[in-house]
Amino acid sequence: MKYILLMSGTQAGVAGYHTWSKQDIEAHMAVLHRINKDLNASGEFIATQGLSDPRQAKLVCGEKNGTPVTDGVFPESKEFLLGYWIVDGASAERAYAIAGQISAAPGPGGRPTNMPIEVRQFASHESKSN
Amino acid sequence: MKYILMMNTMKAGHGVPEWPMKDLQAHIAFMMNLNKGVAERGELVSAEGLSFPDQAKLVRADKNGRPITDGVFPESKEFLAGFWIIDVDSPERAYAVAAQISAAPGPGGAPLNMSIELRPVMSAPPKELL
Repeated sequence: MKYILLMSGTQAGVAGYHTWSKQDIEAHMAVLHRINKDLNASGEFIATQGLSDPRQAKLVCGEKNGTPVTDGVFPESKEFLLGYWIVDGASAERAYAIAGQISAAPGPGGRPTNMPIEVRQFASHESKSN
Repeated sequence: MKYILMMNTMKAGHGVPEWPMKDLQAHIAFMMNLNKGVAERGELVSAEGLSFPDQAKLVRADKNGRPITDGVFPESKEFLAGFWIIDVDSPERAYAVAAQISAAPGPGGAPLNMSIELRPVMSAPPKELL
């Protein structure tokens, strides 16, 4: 079963991340890399991706004739996707366990961030990725 | 340049839309045709549909790194319904694809004109973070 693990945060949260010390950022990235490596080794890894800063986000609507109308102004409370993992796990519990590991990645001072990770199953009949 | 186009339209508790079968089929056919067109131009990296929000969980690690799951969300929360990753020559081309998706037909064949969030995808974490 394919699951996507979504890491989201607000613009303020992203700004806070940019104030972390280099050492804390390195420790954080090291844990995420190790999680990716472990998922690769267990054959559960499908994809992971980080997204650009929310300041580069645009909202696009089609006009009546399909012409794109872009808007880049968002409410402060809006949660942006920061990155995601796609995993192929044997069960929902396994997907939750992986999300728990990601949630426990260290933040400032090495303390776990305990950030919430949204776990969603793919609508498999519409899946286009391998 | 890689972009992710996100359809964030579903609200908490949302299930399969109660549209007439004919309208649902027209919507799906439109999306499949759109994917085909983008793939033929060599721009499609991946496209995925997600399960409905009633299956979503929020996962946090407890002190021991074990997952704590929660499935209760504020009614106003927007959920990711699906996403496309495309590799295109310009932001304008990405906006045009997003507008096509925005104009997908809904009930009675009228364009939905839903908002599509568009973000550049990072190719890799910045070197100084590795």
